[in-house]
Amino acid sequence: MVLKFYASQFVAAGNGIVALALAEKQVAFEFVPIDMAAKEHKTEEYMAMNPFAQVPAINDDGFAMYESRAICRYLDERFAGQGATLVPKGMKGRAVVEQAISVESMSFAPPLSKVVMELVFKVHRGLAPDQALADEGLKEISDKLDVYEVILAKHKYLAGDDFTLADLVHYAYAPMLGENGVDIMTAKERPNVARWWNELMSRPTWVKLKAEGMKSTV
Amino acid sequence: MAILKLHGGKQATCTRRVATVLHELQVPFELIEVDVANGAHKSPEYLKIQPFGQIPYIDDDGFLLYETRAICRYIAAKYPEYGLIPTEPKANALFEQAASVELTNFDPSASKAGLQLWIRKMGYPFPTDDKIIADNLETLEKKLDAYEAILSKQRYLAGETITLADIFHLPYGVFVTYAGSESDSVMNRASRPNVARWYKQLISRPSWLAYLDGVTTTTAY
Repeated sequence: MVLKFYASQFVAAGNGIVALALAEKQVAFEFVPIDMAAKEHKTEEYMAMNPFAQVPAINDDGFAMYESRAICRYLDERFAGQGATLVPKGMKGRAVVEQAISVESMSFAPPLSKVVMELVFKVHRGLAPDQALADEGLKEISDKLDVYEVILAKHKYLAGDDFTLADLVHYAYAPMLGENGVDIMTAKERPNVARWWNELMSRPTWVKLKAEGMKSTV
Repeated sequence: MAILKLHGGKQATCTRRVATVLHELQVPFELIEVDVANGAHKSPEYLKIQPFGQIPYIDDDGFLLYETRAICRYIAAKYPEYGLIPTEPKANALFEQAASVELTNFDPSASKAGLQLWIRKMGYPFPTDDKIIADNLETLEKKLDAYEAILSKQRYLAGETITLADIFHLPYGVFVTYAGSESDSVMNRASRPNVARWYKQLISRPSWLAYLDGVTTTTAY
């Protein structure tokens, strides 16, 4: 049975990173859209798959799971030997990737979500953004990116010279910034971050995913 | 081979999380206290090792690593016989699912409310906010309803045996109970008997009890 990928239509957040991981691992899958506006994520059937009523989820021939970061790790193992290697096998190489993944979750994502809420979500819905909150978030992101600048001076990607899951998790929300006129990821003062981010934004799998959107491969 | 060095704070939340896991895995370690009160974690020498200026980090015979969860994962992988990270692919995936649940569904609200409640309990001279505590505890209550559904079917979050995913709920899982009493708190409600059962199992583990008064160098078990 072909892998089923349950997600919303938007190439962003957890949906976006799993869609990208599926592309990176060259996995054949059936896209099952979950319409959150129609509360399809709150049905008993869906909540049996994900008790947190969140997207995305996958069902790999009867093995069901949720949480996008966990799904990406599973896909990397399950389809090892095809497509990109998202997490290296050696103990120390893996630890350094985990270190960088943890930095994204704990240091980068929280201030980013503040900025996205104010400058993307609210603006899209015609609500007035709280500029003070947005500025607070932007300052925090900037401080963290100053550290990324130091890290990225040493190697091409966050955990070394190869693209890994640590880079992939950054596709969840940060692309929305540039799309909405917030150019913090490509600021000239941080040439290494700009180089890295431009690499990520021009990665062929991402470009194709953004152009074609969420769709089954079969 | 040199003893593992844990650079952090005796009472610091994330240092305690790492120490708990080191204890679970019976790994001898030396606590090296970082003088955070005097900004030692922001010195140029410190930033060379931990560029975000945070604690803790470990020095495992010359291998330096930071980020609590990455440290815990690395140590757990060194001692797979304890099963804190299952290796069989599907069991591993279910562990990752549970670890991600802790990260995205528990930690955001538990750490915000927990940190404030811990500051109040310890009497540290920092401002706290009733609304932040209340709002985050409310979010947490809803998340724990999903935990109740999961834990009604299995003993621990990833299956029948304890994994890092459960242990990652310490110490914030304890701090959030400071808003209630021993018999009734967000982690211990009559309405969520399975969460209460699981929580009580966590806090009765020797690895948690060992550092109730703070982390200390542990050379023997």
